[in-house]
Amino acid sequence: MNLEPTMKQSVIRRSVRRFAEEKIALLAAAMDAKAEFPRALAGEMASLDYFGLEIPKEHGGAGLDTVSAAMVIEELSRVSGAVGLCVSVHNSVAASPVHEFGNAHQRKVFLEPMARGEKIGTFCLTEPNAGSDASAIETTAVKTGDGYLLNGNKIFVTNGGVSGMNLVFALNRPAEERKRYSVFIVESERAGLEKGPVEDLMGMRGNPVCPLVFHDCYVPSENRLGEEGQGLKIALASLSGGRIGIGAQALGIAQASLDVSGKYARERYQFGRPLCAFGGVQGLLADMAVRIEASRLLVYRAASMRHQGLPHTKESAMGKLFASETAVHAARTGLQIHGGYGYTKAYPIERYYRDAKVCEIYEGTSEIQRMVIARSLLAEKGKS
Amino acid sequence: MKKTREHESTRGIWVFGDYRNYFQNRVTLQLIAKAKELAEKLATEVTVLVLGDQVHQFAMEYAAHGADVVMAVEHPALKTYQVETYARVVARLVEQWKPHVFLAGATAFGREFFPRLAKRLRTGLSADCVSLEVDPEHGWLIQTTPSFGGELLADVITPDHRPQMATVHPGMFKERVHDKRAVSRIVYPEVQVEADERVQLVRSKPEQAHKGNLEDAPVVVVGGRGLGSRENFRLLFELAECLGGEVGATRPAVMAGWAKEDRLLGQTGKNVKPKLLITVGTSGAVQYTTGIQGAETIIAVNRDPNAPIFQIADLGLVGEGRSILSLLLEKLRRRL
Amino acid sequence: MNIVVCIKQVPDAPTIRMDRERMTIIREGVESIINPLDAVALDAALTLKRKQGSRVTVLTMGPPQSEEALREALAAGADQAVLVTDPRFAGADTLATSHALARAVSRLEPFPDLILCGKQSIDSDTGHVGPQIAEELDLPQVCGATEIHLEEGSLMVKQVSDGFLNSLRVSLPALVTVSSDLSSPGYLSLGEIESAFSGRQILRWGLDDLQLRESEVGFEGSATRVLRLYRPPPKRKGEILNGPSPEIVERLIKKLESLSIIDEEDAGA
Repeated sequence: MNLEPTMKQSVIRRSVRRFAEEKIALLAAAMDAKAEFPRALAGEMASLDYFGLEIPKEHGGAGLDTVSAAMVIEELSRVSGAVGLCVSVHNSVAASPVHEFGNAHQRKVFLEPMARGEKIGTFCLTEPNAGSDASAIETTAVKTGDGYLLNGNKIFVTNGGVSGMNLVFALNRPAEERKRYSVFIVESERAGLEKGPVEDLMGMRGNPVCPLVFHDCYVPSENRLGEEGQGLKIALASLSGGRIGIGAQALGIAQASLDVSGKYARERYQFGRPLCAFGGVQGLLADMAVRIEASRLLVYRAASMRHQGLPHTKESAMGKLFASETAVHAARTGLQIHGGYGYTKAYPIERYYRDAKVCEIYEGTSEIQRMVIARSLLAEKGKS
Repeated sequence: MKKTREHESTRGIWVFGDYRNYFQNRVTLQLIAKAKELAEKLATEVTVLVLGDQVHQFAMEYAAHGADVVMAVEHPALKTYQVETYARVVARLVEQWKPHVFLAGATAFGREFFPRLAKRLRTGLSADCVSLEVDPEHGWLIQTTPSFGGELLADVITPDHRPQMATVHPGMFKERVHDKRAVSRIVYPEVQVEADERVQLVRSKPEQAHKGNLEDAPVVVVGGRGLGSRENFRLLFELAECLGGEVGATRPAVMAGWAKEDRLLGQTGKNVKPKLLITVGTSGAVQYTTGIQGAETIIAVNRDPNAPIFQIADLGLVGEGRSILSLLLEKLRRRL
Repeated sequence: MNIVVCIKQVPDAPTIRMDRERMTIIREGVESIINPLDAVALDAALTLKRKQGSRVTVLTMGPPQSEEALREALAAGADQAVLVTDPRFAGADTLATSHALARAVSRLEPFPDLILCGKQSIDSDTGHVGPQIAEELDLPQVCGATEIHLEEGSLMVKQVSDGFLNSLRVSLPALVTVSSDLSSPGYLSLGEIESAFSGRQILRWGLDDLQLRESEVGFEGSATRVLRLYRPPPKRKGEILNGPSPEIVERLIKKLESLSIIDEEDAGA
């Protein structure tokens, strides 16, 4: 069991870190303040294959393994949670499902532009009455001739404001005894798709999260991903991969919190000594570091298992759960270490604090993750 | 690898005479002074080697500044300082005369020429030394050379090879006062000189002061991420103009587009050693400070009283870069 | 045209730890990067590759983990990578290092038209290896290039040296060391990194492959010895001024006067 990164992963981590520190770091605060996502940055990231992390080369991606992909997300998130979120969601719940469940035509027409970063992807699942209870969605897909008419409201769509390709989770109509769901790939230009105003969020403000409204939006059958009725299966499969991305994202935010707090503790003097000389502060830093290491091991183990094709529902849920709670803990503790200065925008820690919280909520709340983990435990034979 | 030399047969401390312009010449004079001090401990003489087309005036000057011997080689092919041409000639002289120690200033030319020469002579060389001493018992030259941008110093010796060579950082030693009555021998050795035609100097012009020659500016004002905006960064240009200096930048400022790459200071940029350096809104990352450590006086402005930059500053001001700069400019302009 | 780029893997640590016994830097546990100026040299070579279709070979001497630097260079676009490695090469000064590297260059088929390297490394800071390779291979050299381009079979090089802007014409083959003004290396794409690690060969040459003797390389082959390694004594003990800006700016102005940067204010002004 080798827990050390490979030489390749070391190079990947370092390259992304350099890009993030040189190109994203200076934009991060402004993105947050103005709630804007810079197009030019997306273009640069696209040219470096950040939008096709695990997609094979023949479809325009980088062909990375899952662990390396998670490292990319971690390094981007360390500098900007909003950018890490954009890349993570695009890769794991938009591009990957099309690769996994799409046919040859769909891979060519829908996947390749996404992998090349020409079109940014979203996964439209949540609705006003359907959050954790995904099955309660009301968006319908009515079979009409050679296609479907979509009607409904999707909210909190990550990347929505800049997306070109949207995966939409809808209820099949006409209704049958048991509810059936399907996933449709809807290009943003389609008539009947309207994007609402970008949400005014507490954190991740650089990510243009917005509602997508479908009003008699027609999509041809070839835009349906997988079979009719396979929607739930596709959604759950992509969420499983998505959890690893969010875990990596939370890890990045946590690591950033630790980095800046350690630096602050070394430089800030009170009572004639640096903060890091006080046992109380040492304890806080140690707690942060331990949890971050543990999160890292959980997230990367899940990634490794996914890459090996092993079942990883429980592990990815554990990684997402623990890493997101660690991010919140680390950001809060870090802000405490920064004291009064941490409460001002002169230091980035308050942004990490605001960004971290949503990691415990989206792509399955912590409560849902606990249910997933428990179910998985209970289902294992021979274990109580 | 050549066998150990018989170093009992080497003697004399040689100094390479670089007279090209004022700055390089000063370095030569500083080296002569230090060489005299070392020579006394080794009971030997200082020879200054001068190559060129017409070198008599320089020979006289070096004599007046302490050289015991001036060895002059005059030849049209030596008019321009050319690495390969000089390396061949000087190697022949060294093999003929066998000096014990050979020093040169760590000018750009020196740092290009001396390693080539040392390799030709198959001897050791240390770069950009900040200090020189001798161990008379062993006849060693103890060369103190910086590494990691000056974070570490190494005391280096060349125990078994001769001459012991070193390039020396400008400004480390004090030159002797010009003494008209100083007596020295001027020698014109017989040596073969041929030009190496493979490198042709097509054009050479002095660097223009207005082109932002950072490395020669007596005052450098530097801005970093803490200035926050291009508009604030521009204040530095105004300050530089007021003080007769140049503007430098840290990597974050260059990446933000507030300054061009040629103003970058630090590990991957330029090293400057001005009389005064004012650094504003820079936290003091090592990748940056290695580029400015050589400044005579460093004044730092940062709103964080715990910024590491204050560890290397002679004077620190805690405050916001923009307001301090604006206030400073206002007061300076009132005086002019 | 065939170009060889000599690169060095250097520690990325801002704070250095020393092995006091062996008088060397502790490299374990410290991340390693391609020496920044060597990355500039590589970028220059790749630009020539894009413009004239040159073939770029990247060469390094170091312990086995230097392979990482070579893979990065392959990901950036180099065609071939050579690792000169052998425990007996350890402890080499620039004389011994340049000897091993020069021998490796001579072993390449065909002999390169141009050798590029960074002007100096961020660890040893000497800037010697380039010129010393050039001397051993009897090649003309130009150090600190700010611009290079090919013109009718020769290399045109711009250089800033001791207050002069020089334009030089160099006949090939030649060795050029580069300064940071020459170019700004870009970023590695993930796909290229992935390719660099799968199915790309790295040539590995040791003492015997290069037909060198132990006495010519490593510690034995070095002319210089380190007596001691230490941190310089802190030379500045600064005064830190806190307080309202007008007051501290006045103090700053007094300092500028004391340094003769500005004239002292006349009493009557």
